[in-house]
Amino acid sequence: MSDRSGFSAQTLLVLAALCEQPQWCHGYALARQTGLKSGTLYPILIRLADRGLVEACWQDEPQPGRPRRHLYRLTAGGMAAAAAALAGPAEPAAQPGKRAPRPVPGAMARAVQQ
Amino acid sequence: MSGLGRAGAAAWRGAARLVPAGRRDWVEAIWAEAAEVPPGLRRLAWRAGGVRLIAREAVTVRRAGGLLLFAAAVAAAARAAWPGSSASLATPAERVDVVTMVLLLAGLPLLARWCLGPPDSRPARWLRIGCYAALLALLPARAAVERFSYTPPRGSAELRVYLLAGGTTQRVPGGSDIIILVVIGLYLGAILWMTSRRARIAPATLAAGVIAGVAFGLVMYTVAPLGLSKQATNPWLPGSDIDPLMLLAWLLLLGGPVAAAVVADRRYTAASSSPPPAGDRIRQTTVAALLTSMTGALFVTVAGFATTLAMIKAAWLRNWLYHGQHLLYGVRNLSANLKNAPAIAYSHQLTGSADTGAFFAMLIIFPLITLVLNIWVALSVWSGDAAAGRSDPRPGGGGPPGPEPAQDPPDGGRLAGLADADAGLAAALPGIYEPGPGIEQDPLVAAAPR
Repeated sequence: MSDRSGFSAQTLLVLAALCEQPQWCHGYALARQTGLKSGTLYPILIRLADRGLVEACWQDEPQPGRPRRHLYRLTAGGMAAAAAALAGPAEPAAQPGKRAPRPVPGAMARAVQQ
Repeated sequence: MSGLGRAGAAAWRGAARLVPAGRRDWVEAIWAEAAEVPPGLRRLAWRAGGVRLIAREAVTVRRAGGLLLFAAAVAAAARAAWPGSSASLATPAERVDVVTMVLLLAGLPLLARWCLGPPDSRPARWLRIGCYAALLALLPARAAVERFSYTPPRGSAELRVYLLAGGTTQRVPGGSDIIILVVIGLYLGAILWMTSRRARIAPATLAAGVIAGVAFGLVMYTVAPLGLSKQATNPWLPGSDIDPLMLLAWLLLLGGPVAAAVVADRRYTAASSSPPPAGDRIRQTTVAALLTSMTGALFVTVAGFATTLAMIKAAWLRNWLYHGQHLLYGVRNLSANLKNAPAIAYSHQLTGSADTGAFFAMLIIFPLITLVLNIWVALSVWSGDAAAGRSDPRPGGGGPPGPEPAQDPPDGGRLAGLADADAGLAAALPGIYEPGPGIEQDPLVAAAPR
């Protein structure tokens, strides 16, 4: 299901989470913030990166004993697209029989608009 | 990291190689991130999401799946066509047929991929799949029909019919078998070439040829579901040359390729930004025309063999198609032997199976007719061009006077030159002058810094 901005409810959640944290963030942190599973989150990140809305890089200095992590943040274009998308009616309606995704916090949308 | 963890990481890296190079980072990112997820079910679920991503992105897996499916289909067709008993007189010929067909079906695509490149459009891929499906269906159907034709029946009355109809007591692969294999190889090769990247055939051309071909094949099949058999007595198959269906078949045989060629040419010319070279247009029209007749012939052959096979097996279809007595036309003393129902039924079956040879004649004749038509049209156009070229005045020559100069258009030629003038102004005055509506802007001008 997508709204008038063309983003699905899950993509809006990811955009909102990325807006909330302008620094680089990790996939697991995004998954916890949005409540999405990895099989849903990463295809969304891939699509956003393909459209130039998200940039990704590998961590320079990994923690000892841990693999390097992949980091994500919105590009300038992504910021603008997210602001435009979240400014509209961002709260997706729950479909019957499906669990409604976590609603985008209003504070998050206001922060984007500012 | 434990040994199990190292093995898991190695397996994951191996799986990541299945996805395109540009996507591997994402797969590795999921693995790296899994270390942050609490162990147990949640980490397992995280990695399961990674497996989903790999499955989604892995073109290699899809390709391998397609190859496996193809190999399974070839094996199933070969298994169905493979003669079960060496007692049958058709066994040696059938074995040669099956082995050669499998070699053709498996080898030619590899050769085509290597020499000509893979198909690069959806219609091309679907055309290949359709061609393969048709040939794979033809292989067991033809084997079953020929097995019936060359296996002497058990009943004495049926055996008399078989021998009267010229039933052979021995069959070895002969010239006709070789010709059929060559024709099928040519069909396969032509379809592989038409759908390859190197041939540069437009998807619209392929679509036009296939649609016209299927329409032609449907009409031909309605006219000749049993191989142009004059002995079929159903009123639906009168076999009359003035029957409207027969007329439609003739129209489509001669006009279908022409119509497909015209459509393909228009679509190809409309899709090109500048007038395409004559050679490209000839290639598109020739392919569209040939594809029409080839698709039609292949369609009617596969459907006809399937109908004949069904007619041999199913009494109700046999009785519906052949409810008359005048069968095996031209065979002397036959009517005296058609005394009982099994003999009559067998004569129907034998007639249908013997008439399937007409389908292979169609496979050869239909594309030949199209080729002859194409050459005739090309020669007509060429001779017309040559005649026009001779009437042109030669500079300095003493030929006939040239044509009158064309009259000025009513707008004084302003509209014709408007696009050029606009593009020139836009180049000279970047940022000041914008081309008018409805006039395409030169992309170089549009990209110039202002």
